[in-house]
Amino acid sequence: MSETTTAAELLPVGSDDYSRAALFLYREAQLLDDARFEDWLETLHDELVYEMPVRQSVMPKDGTGFVDGMTFLTETRNSLLTRVRRLQTEQAWAEQPGSRTRHLVANVLVERGAAEGELNVTSAFLVTRTRADLPYDFFSGERRDVLARDGERLLLKRRQILFDQTVMKSYNLSIFL
Amino acid sequence: MAVNPAGLLDLSLADGVELTQLIDEPGAHISRRIYGNDEIFELEQDRIFRRAWNFLGHVSELPNPGDYVTRDLAGEPVVLIRGDDGEIRAFLNSCRHRGMRVCRADRDNVSYMRCVYHGWSYSRSGDLVTAFAEELYDPGRLRKEELGLIPVTQVAIYRGVIFGTWDAEAPPLEEYLGDMRFYLDLFLGRTDGGTEVVGAPQVWDVSTDWKFCADNFTGDNFHLYTAHGSVVDLGMLPPDPMSLSYGYLVRAQGGHVLHLVPGPPDPSFEYFGLPRDLVPQFERNLDSVQLGLLKDHAWSVGTVFPNLSFMQVMVQGDIGGPNVTFLSLRAWMPTSATTTRVFSYLLLDRDAPEQFRRDSYEAYVRTFGPSGIFEQDDMENWEDCTRVNKGKIAQRHGLHHGMGLHLEPDPSFPGPGQAWPGSYGERTQLSFYGEWLKWMTHERPWAS
Repeated sequence: MSETTTAAELLPVGSDDYSRAALFLYREAQLLDDARFEDWLETLHDELVYEMPVRQSVMPKDGTGFVDGMTFLTETRNSLLTRVRRLQTEQAWAEQPGSRTRHLVANVLVERGAAEGELNVTSAFLVTRTRADLPYDFFSGERRDVLARDGERLLLKRRQILFDQTVMKSYNLSIFL
Repeated sequence: MAVNPAGLLDLSLADGVELTQLIDEPGAHISRRIYGNDEIFELEQDRIFRRAWNFLGHVSELPNPGDYVTRDLAGEPVVLIRGDDGEIRAFLNSCRHRGMRVCRADRDNVSYMRCVYHGWSYSRSGDLVTAFAEELYDPGRLRKEELGLIPVTQVAIYRGVIFGTWDAEAPPLEEYLGDMRFYLDLFLGRTDGGTEVVGAPQVWDVSTDWKFCADNFTGDNFHLYTAHGSVVDLGMLPPDPMSLSYGYLVRAQGGHVLHLVPGPPDPSFEYFGLPRDLVPQFERNLDSVQLGLLKDHAWSVGTVFPNLSFMQVMVQGDIGGPNVTFLSLRAWMPTSATTTRVFSYLLLDRDAPEQFRRDSYEAYVRTFGPSGIFEQDDMENWEDCTRVNKGKIAQRHGLHHGMGLHLEPDPSFPGPGQAWPGSYGERTQLSFYGEWLKWMTHERPWAS
């Protein structure tokens, strides 16, 4: 979804494609919160591009501060598969004992994508993470996703995570956003 | 700082324990009391961070006149700015009128550094140009020539890396780095164009004493097979836990340390896995000893005392992917006795080919930084160590740092400093803590 998207181009809440997109995000949130990572991998497109740019605190004239060329995550389906396989070893200490997360997804907006069967979906997220007796970490931001139709299902083909923090106030990012 | 005739600073802590009791370098024991301790933190700020040469940034972060980046130096805000003359200067980021920061973004390009409180404006060279309503001061009272921004006492650049110190007595940077420059050049001085920062640093906050980060990056190679066991299980490190035990632990002058680890006997691991197109540049820019060390090793991690670490390592970013090398600098900025702000940079040789730039970037982000499949497990250890070592019962018992102490330095090692054979051992950690003690107890730590 671009800044030039008009209200008229947004799919109505409750329309077929809107509901499918929203359902995709809600189910994904549940899969991640339930640590059903194998099932989550099944929702990823083979050509997935998944990025979380680093952000800096800048003056408004310089835009939003997202850094060209540096990220906290730059992933493909195979690198996310690697992360899931890592969690399945018995030595992934950052997640053993595991984080308890809650992925809250809201403000879902959907428009038709550039290619046939694709939807551009933006949403706001708030992810809480607690672990052992540690206080809550909060991860918030915007997701800009492209969902691609594959038969009856949708797959995540692109995700850009626009994080709200410039200094990550969490000691690691061992969870999926 | 109180100094006794022997050039020693006041050694006593509030409870009567002496600093010299905390580090037993020959006996390879470190007191847990040095971690997470507010009194030690204040002494470190005073005796180490306000005196040592600290990392401030990289010249490529400031390509144009008027570019600034804001940083911390010993816990106080500083701004690095490139002047109209092309010089990079560093100042306490604080207006001389009420103390407000004059540069408030992480980066910007400005004609003047203008305080948003009352409008005092400073040139790109730090001079006070205008105050507000200057006509309302008595003649001669507003001496603008004396009211420039407070400069960082000494600023110097080595191979593109900007350092600063608040200490006028500190020796020149090149002397401070000493023969560590020989090793830094393997990474920062090997190509014609030098290195540049990719994008901007990743920055994150970790609840750890900064010393655990530096300790790990002194060249702790033997944590790989436990702390990073997940990556071994994935087949991304060789299965034999001794397979990375070869090479050297090196202590250069000034307590700067590193390890050098050879790859398996496969030409793709030569020159740290760097692009072969760059080898003619290595031959031009390095001497024959440096060139030999670059050719024969694949992994190196080290720390410039106190808190600037570097790593040039070959890793697989994902299962089935190629081994790709990356060069990272990290500054472990203490923000309290129990918290550290990490600045992690990816550097690339300016002359590196396009495909390598992409591959190196992906390998770095996937393995290191807060999300990295290696590094996320490091923070697990550093935070836990910091919490547990604060315990008064725990503190009755020292920490063991005795691996590999029977080994003597290898006289045939061709580089400067002392080099112990094998990269599994605790010589470099002990060197770091020995240096820490020297700075915490000596009036002139760089001279002894």
